[in-house]
Amino acid sequence: MTGGYITGGWAFVWAAYGWTAFVLAAYGFSLFARLRKPR
Amino acid sequence: MLPNHRFPRLPYALIALGVICLLAGSYFGLFVAPPEHYMGEVQRIMYVHVPTAWNALLALTFAFICAVISLFKDDLKWDARLEASTEVGVLLGFLLCCQGAIWAKPTWGVWWDWDPRLTTTAVLVAAFAGVLALRHFVDDPVKRATWSAVAAIIASVDVPIVYYSVRWWNSLHQMQSSPATVSSQFYLPLRLNAFGILFLMTGFIMLRARIASQRIATELAPPPADLVGELA
Repeated sequence: MTGGYITGGWAFVWAAYGWTAFVLAAYGFSLFARLRKPR
Repeated sequence: MLPNHRFPRLPYALIALGVICLLAGSYFGLFVAPPEHYMGEVQRIMYVHVPTAWNALLALTFAFICAVISLFKDDLKWDARLEASTEVGVLLGFLLCCQGAIWAKPTWGVWWDWDPRLTTTAVLVAAFAGVLALRHFVDDPVKRATWSAVAAIIASVDVPIVYYSVRWWNSLHQMQSSPATVSSQFYLPLRLNAFGILFLMTGFIMLRARIASQRIATELAPPPADLVGELA
């Protein structure tokens, strides 16, 4: 941060988007796996 | 009575639509929208964080509605919907806390702060995770439906507290924005991602309710004849 302004920070942006995509995709795949599981 | 899935492909269509909206919204949020004056590039996290927050609260509000209906109607499909919306709401709440921590580090200088908004959100996620845990301890589907509905209604008291925490208390977290306080350049990615997560969440809840209703149907089914013969 310089003088109250945040500079850079792309690593945090990619981390937030990447983690969001991973968690949502993992949950979606877990649902498909549970639906296909024979009971 | 349990859901009969009149529209078996609808959740998949909603999930596909949600992914398309999220890809478009993320493209505009990452590459088209300008950086914010003070927060710079870090503000782009808001395009996923704010829609996640809206939809997490929406999913848990739907869980509250399912819990109330489940108590008054003798229909276990509302219990299946309660289980589904609670699980998806907890998932989005957990994701919300992670995104908030990633945003807080470069802006506040810490990953986490026991600020009213953050604390009430953590309590909300923990309370609904407790409802899911409670469901694992009860074998009888009818008792489980009643107990988890009551627990979900108690946990839901925190939903409006989370929303109004930034107004009621002196919070480090910023107040809710409105179209009057947000530049028009930020609308598009925010709205696309909001609808993206809404469609994804609805598809997830429908699929998860299907899994829950299949399990409840298995639990309510009479034991196989050969097993009855062995026991007799």
